[in-house]
Amino acid sequence: MRREGRVFLWLGGAIVAMLLLVALLAPLISPFDPRAIAGPSLAAPSTAHWLGTNDAGQDILSQLIWGTRSSAVVAVLAAGLAVGLGVAVGATAGLLGGWADLLAMRVVDVFLAVPALPLLILVAALAGPSRSTVILVIGMTGWPPVARVVRSQTLTLAGRGYVAAARGFGSGWLYVIRRHLVPTLAPLAVANFVYWAATAVVLQAGLAFLGLVDPTEVSWGSVLNRALAHQGIYFSEVWLWWVLPAGLAVTVAAFGLALLGVGLEPRANPRWRRA
Amino acid sequence: MAALLEVSDLRVRFDGGVDALRGLSFSLDRGEALAIVGESGAGKSTLAHSIVGLIQPPQASGSVLLDGRELLGADEQTLRSLRWSTVAIALQSMPFNPVASVGAQVAEPLREHRAMASAQARARAAELAEEVLLDPALLDRFPHELSGGERRRATLAMVLALDPELVILDEPLSGLDPDTKLELLAGWTSIAGRRGLAMIVISHDLPAAAQLAARSMVMYAGEVMEAGATSAVIERPAHPYSWALVNAYPVMSTTKDLRPIRGQPPDPRAVPPGCPFNTRCTQVETICREQHPPLARSRGRLVACHFGGLKELLSATDLHKTFRSDGRPVHALQGVSFSVGEGEAVGLIGPSGSGKSTLSRILTGHLAPDGGAVLLEGSALSASWRRGSRERRRRIQLVMQDPWDALSPRLAVEELVGEPLDVGSDGGADRRQAAVAEMLDAVGLPSSGTFLRARVHELSGGQLQRIALARALMTRPKLLVADEPTSMLDPSEQARLLVILRELQVEMGLGLVLVSHDVAVVRKVTDRVVVLDAGRVVEDGRTERFSAAPRSATGRRLVAAAPAFAPRVEEEES
Repeated sequence: MRREGRVFLWLGGAIVAMLLLVALLAPLISPFDPRAIAGPSLAAPSTAHWLGTNDAGQDILSQLIWGTRSSAVVAVLAAGLAVGLGVAVGATAGLLGGWADLLAMRVVDVFLAVPALPLLILVAALAGPSRSTVILVIGMTGWPPVARVVRSQTLTLAGRGYVAAARGFGSGWLYVIRRHLVPTLAPLAVANFVYWAATAVVLQAGLAFLGLVDPTEVSWGSVLNRALAHQGIYFSEVWLWWVLPAGLAVTVAAFGLALLGVGLEPRANPRWRRA
Repeated sequence: MAALLEVSDLRVRFDGGVDALRGLSFSLDRGEALAIVGESGAGKSTLAHSIVGLIQPPQASGSVLLDGRELLGADEQTLRSLRWSTVAIALQSMPFNPVASVGAQVAEPLREHRAMASAQARARAAELAEEVLLDPALLDRFPHELSGGERRRATLAMVLALDPELVILDEPLSGLDPDTKLELLAGWTSIAGRRGLAMIVISHDLPAAAQLAARSMVMYAGEVMEAGATSAVIERPAHPYSWALVNAYPVMSTTKDLRPIRGQPPDPRAVPPGCPFNTRCTQVETICREQHPPLARSRGRLVACHFGGLKELLSATDLHKTFRSDGRPVHALQGVSFSVGEGEAVGLIGPSGSGKSTLSRILTGHLAPDGGAVLLEGSALSASWRRGSRERRRRIQLVMQDPWDALSPRLAVEELVGEPLDVGSDGGADRRQAAVAEMLDAVGLPSSGTFLRARVHELSGGQLQRIALARALMTRPKLLVADEPTSMLDPSEQARLLVILRELQVEMGLGLVLVSHDVAVVRKVTDRVVVLDAGRVVEDGRTERFSAAPRSATGRRLVAAAPAFAPRVEEEES
């Protein structure tokens, strides 16, 4: 398992790193302004427009490059929100115990019962499909499972002999958190972060696919949405450079993150290392 | 009536600044027996020689009054009149003349001091030989023709020749076989009783001394450390030195392994200031290095210790703890009181569910009791996060049953052992490294680089438990509570851990609470056993008594269940 794990880790890491690089360098590597009309409508791929243009004559490659940035921002912020909130609530509940734990876990139960995608559709439809709404909704549906796992890890840790021993030789609770809790939760948090980043990328694209997208925004979802809304998109070859690359971008990003998640799994779970 | 012997403030200093006796006072009544015990070099023989006037001023000062007469500074004639007839000494190896018959030598004091005729003296010698159970026929032989035991009897006959009132026996039994020892002991006891003899028995053979004398005096570095009734001094020693001495002596009545006294006796030319035992004592404090402790009354005897003897390290009184399981109360502890003395090893045994682990967690401040209190070195121990209680908890450490649980799988050996240092304020990377290496060494583990980097899953249970032990010792605790430390180890690892525990107990002066359900393990390591059943103490007594004859039903069950090699005897074929 060890070697495959490392292959997953490297491959996933490479894909994610590449996408992040693209997102970061978008203004430099993008050949055109993604919103500008850069050429004729529905032009086929050429040396000027590697992926052709859309119906409005905008460069599709530039739109995908800028879309990477949009996806990265949503992924990082949504996953950060979900994991940050989850770790905070879970660790606090686990450490404090008693009524605080009880209350936190009931709230988690309620949130867990709410399905993410329908809620997202509802909120997007009612509040408008802005990027911050998407981030907020993914974050708010993502934290409960994280909180639950973190709480159980915290509880397990609190019952471990080495934490009792640390108390026995006079350590304070700050020391226990720094020396024992953080190293225990860190791999878990990273793995969850990767998982929710992948989910956020797919959900954002999924919403756009359903038409819940801000048309002024440049994202993989809005490219897809516009392409699919185009009458008779499949009657010509246009879908080959308009729909396919955008769908592929979403797939590659989700795949890369998934690989990274699988590769990180052994680190998140110390029992894997012992075997 | 005045005492037969009155020694006061006796000091002896030999050439070269050797302080053999440093202010000794005691008295002895007629017909009384006193045992003087202590390690070699404690000044026992010097004391004996002073009492017969062999050591005189200017080497000796103070006063030795024998039957009202001062021996120190007395003229040769007075001494001669007292020797043999009032006080007689049987030396460790009596210097017999190899070319004269034993009988002639026994008769010699009679002829010299009583001016007896040769025949009369010979007849008296034969009488004396019979009194000491020596075949009178042997009197015609030469010393080298007698056995060791026979020579001792001849010595005694000689010593008794002039009917002294006080006999000093200097190492009377050394080098003899047990049978002979027993016979001689019985012989002396009856002779002393018959004649109303006062005896001073000088020995490092504790059981012999205890058998001969009703009073005992423990000497160390030329001073009296403890004096009183033998039943108190030898059976329940109060002074740390007497306690260590008794523990170092192999006797059938203890089941525990021998425990050497740590360190070496002091050089008589440079006895440390303050209490002479302070370099080897386990409960030493600043006052011990600065002030000389007076011999004062404590616990029914005289003890020369600033603290009146061994301190009480840990005392728990009336502990209660109730857990809830499915809403029903489970009474884990119902009024348990428990104490551990300085350097003492106490076994805490009981069946599963008797509350042993709960008690050990409360004793170490890992769990708060519902009622009752735990005092460690006189101050309360609590389970709170407050700084004061955290500091105090460092003085008592818990070694847990499961080393895989007690050691973090994320940390390497060096981090594990060094963890207590990270918590404490005493930092410094090189100091930390040295301390880790020293502790690993103490528990018999390597301190090489590869081992220091090893992680929990790479090591055996025995190694892990020793790492846990090393970590616990890192805070220099006064007391160690080991909760079934060997239950997850194989027999060879178990033996190693127990040996290490015992050594550390001596070297570091640790108090030890060994929690176990295995009587066989507990009896090898502990001085005292406390039996717990259903949250109550049902028995508390010395380990050897407990393992020989447990008083409680629970104790009997546990002893019966203890593993023993009992080969099944095959039915003999007829």
